[in-house]
Amino acid sequence: MTARRTLAVLLLAGTALTGCGGGGGGSAEAPEEYPTDDIELLVPYTAGGPTDIAARALAAHMEGELGQTVVVTNAPGASGATAYQQLIAADADGHTLSMTALPTAVLNYLSNEVGYTREDFAPVGVVTQVPSGIVVPADSPYESLEDLFDAARADPQAVTVGTPGATNTHAAETRRITQLYDVPLTVVPFNGNAEVQTALLGGNVTAGFANLSQDILPAIESGDLRVLAVGSPEPLPYLDAPTFVELGYPELVQSTTTFGVIAPAGTPEEVVQTLEDTLRSAAEEPGVVGALDERYVPAEFIGADGLGELFAETEETFRDVLAD
Amino acid sequence: MDSWNGILQGFSVALDPTNLLYVFLGVLIGTVIGVLPGLGPTATIALLLPITYTVEPVTAVILLAGIYYGSMYGGTITSVLLRLPGEAASVVTTFDGYQMAKQGRAGPALGIAAVGSFIGGTVSVVGMVLLAPPLADLAVSFGPPEYVALTVLGILLVTYLGTGSVLKSLSMAAVGLLLATIGLDPITGTARFTFGEVSLFNGLDFVAVAMGLFGVGEILHSLERTEKVQAVTSKIKGIWPTRKDFRDSAGAIGRGSVLGFAIGVLPGGGGVVSSLASYAMEKRRAKDPSRFGKGAIEGVAGPETANNASSTSAFIPLLTLGIPPNVVLALIFGALLVQDITPGPQLIEQQPEIFWGVIASMVIGNLMLLALNIPLVGVFVQMLRVRAGILAAFALLVTMAGVFSVNNNVFDMWVVLGFGVIGWLMKKTGFEPGPLVLAFVLGSILERAFRQSMLISGGSFDIFVTRPISGGMFAFMALIIIVSAITSRRRKAVFGRVDPADVDETDEPGPDADRQVTAEGSPGADSTTDTPSSTTPGER
Repeated sequence: MTARRTLAVLLLAGTALTGCGGGGGGSAEAPEEYPTDDIELLVPYTAGGPTDIAARALAAHMEGELGQTVVVTNAPGASGATAYQQLIAADADGHTLSMTALPTAVLNYLSNEVGYTREDFAPVGVVTQVPSGIVVPADSPYESLEDLFDAARADPQAVTVGTPGATNTHAAETRRITQLYDVPLTVVPFNGNAEVQTALLGGNVTAGFANLSQDILPAIESGDLRVLAVGSPEPLPYLDAPTFVELGYPELVQSTTTFGVIAPAGTPEEVVQTLEDTLRSAAEEPGVVGALDERYVPAEFIGADGLGELFAETEETFRDVLAD
Repeated sequence: MDSWNGILQGFSVALDPTNLLYVFLGVLIGTVIGVLPGLGPTATIALLLPITYTVEPVTAVILLAGIYYGSMYGGTITSVLLRLPGEAASVVTTFDGYQMAKQGRAGPALGIAAVGSFIGGTVSVVGMVLLAPPLADLAVSFGPPEYVALTVLGILLVTYLGTGSVLKSLSMAAVGLLLATIGLDPITGTARFTFGEVSLFNGLDFVAVAMGLFGVGEILHSLERTEKVQAVTSKIKGIWPTRKDFRDSAGAIGRGSVLGFAIGVLPGGGGVVSSLASYAMEKRRAKDPSRFGKGAIEGVAGPETANNASSTSAFIPLLTLGIPPNVVLALIFGALLVQDITPGPQLIEQQPEIFWGVIASMVIGNLMLLALNIPLVGVFVQMLRVRAGILAAFALLVTMAGVFSVNNNVFDMWVVLGFGVIGWLMKKTGFEPGPLVLAFVLGSILERAFRQSMLISGGSFDIFVTRPISGGMFAFMALIIIVSAITSRRRKAVFGRVDPADVDETDEPGPDADRQVTAEGSPGADSTTDTPSSTTPGER
């Protein structure tokens, strides 16, 4: 305990020094000292889920790189707010980190009072990015996105779109389609990807806007579901489907879920730098990439700055959608 | 052939040494808590839920299922020997089982119960193999309106089939539905009744509520009871029933298997309802109904078979529809949710190891129970000597540590304590926690499905009646309400409560056979769920 507190003081002094002096000896020493204790990596979702599995793969890698035990703690609930509140209440010394999922983490504080905003976080880097797309069952009469949208324009009640949740990116993105392109779609929120898939296979919703994650890909590969459009800026190498951009909807690139690591705001820059380097090396380690699923590891590593921009951009995009 | 491959896969899962150990632990714990009055399967499973968090999902369900059907065996032992039903489903076994024991035939009573349970369990497993996969295929087409119908049916049946006061059950179900509205709105994502407390955003944690109401409530309640159970001195001889016993009970076991299976599948069915129904059926069919209550072996064989059959078939709606039909299954539902698995129509396809592994484990578990029960009856009975206070202290410690471990959230510990006090007060005032907990679980499914239906139909209620399956189910519910209103008088006479004093009277020869089962009685004597704590007959 004493060691930890001393370190905190040292680090604070270090930041103060760098803040004033502009990169003296203090900043060079700090990365060597961190970490001095166990690192706790919070997971805002239950054990066994995709975020948890990613966190554990990452934790194993971090232990090897940083030489300290990394403890993964699940703190599920309130779309992540439980974990983020724990995170920002902890010392900003890099010994408490959290996994995060965007844009949920942002949508959460935009729609409810949850005790944090992005200003309370120090982004570290991106771990994986899972794209989303509009899918229909194999026997759907709609062969293309245009067919689907035409049907919706012809009869505003005709097209229901299942989404994996009420406050996540898919529901918000579907409402943006209605707002930006005047296509009346009825959002029907379900509880998770699996329920959307069941509803699609049972013909209870016209289409689904869902994560193209490991749980839904087998149904797409077997032909039970067809992808009409994907929400990534570039076409996906493993799916034969056009992007929204290619189809003439350049704004619809906000549905990808980004999983990243964050620290509390005020964490010393050197510490964030060390952590960012660790994440970068994880993205190059075949064992870790395999555990994360290589389809979802970004081809080019996105670090602290990139994740920070993503937070700001997401907030910008969705603030207006949720306002009404 | 698919089922055959499934079964093979199931056995490869169930025969894994870890899973074998957990089946054994499950049926052993089940038997023990079945013997101990006061700690029924519901309370035990509620208390053990957080522990299952650390093992594989299939192992967790294997363990909990083992506890459930194991307790059906265990409850028989004390019902027969002491006229003390260890759990609610065994209440009817006291009628004839205890009489048999008085006539020196405790052995055959226990023997036939074990054999009947085994057969009932096995028949049910076979039924599950045949019925569940096609049901799951059908269930894929179930949309929100069908889920509305199913959950409403579940809530309706749990209040109607319950043997307590319908009014009390309905009011508890209403409380459960209200509690289910706490948290984020499932459609708009707005926070409701959270009072700014982020821990409430996902609603009250089901595990914490159930552990409080059943676990802590039961612990508090059991501490109030001071009476001791008399030690059993008489030795049990000749467990294996005679050829005549088998001949007499063969029909009852056969009918009990089918009846138990059918009732277990229904929402609100399971345990106590199936054993009462089987008893009523045997008595109605008997050439000489006056033998019942005086040691008729069919009166033991039928209900014991039925309750075990129903505790197995109750898994069908959970594993194929994602709808828990009774409180114990609601807890197992909770255990799967904790593991990030949402049971539903696609479970058999996507997680076949869970479905088939659990089925195979039931076959193994039933064999183990048969092997355990017959030679070890005497040992289990000795456990009644454990003092309630010691048990309670341990149980409370495990509960508090356990509930914290699920979400690592201190708030949940307060929820457990709060609901513990509520559960204890409910018990004292004769309200059953069963309908509350089941309505709480089904309530969130119901609300989401109802509002999804409204979105899909554009606000028209027609969607519930124009779709054949949901329309059919609503018609069925209307029928239940009408029929039960008409026959409520008759129903009371058969499904009524058991008053210990009345059972005593049957010692004397009397032609009035109906007197054994009367409509009055002690509160809680036969709750749909468990908790026979207030029923220690003759001890008040």
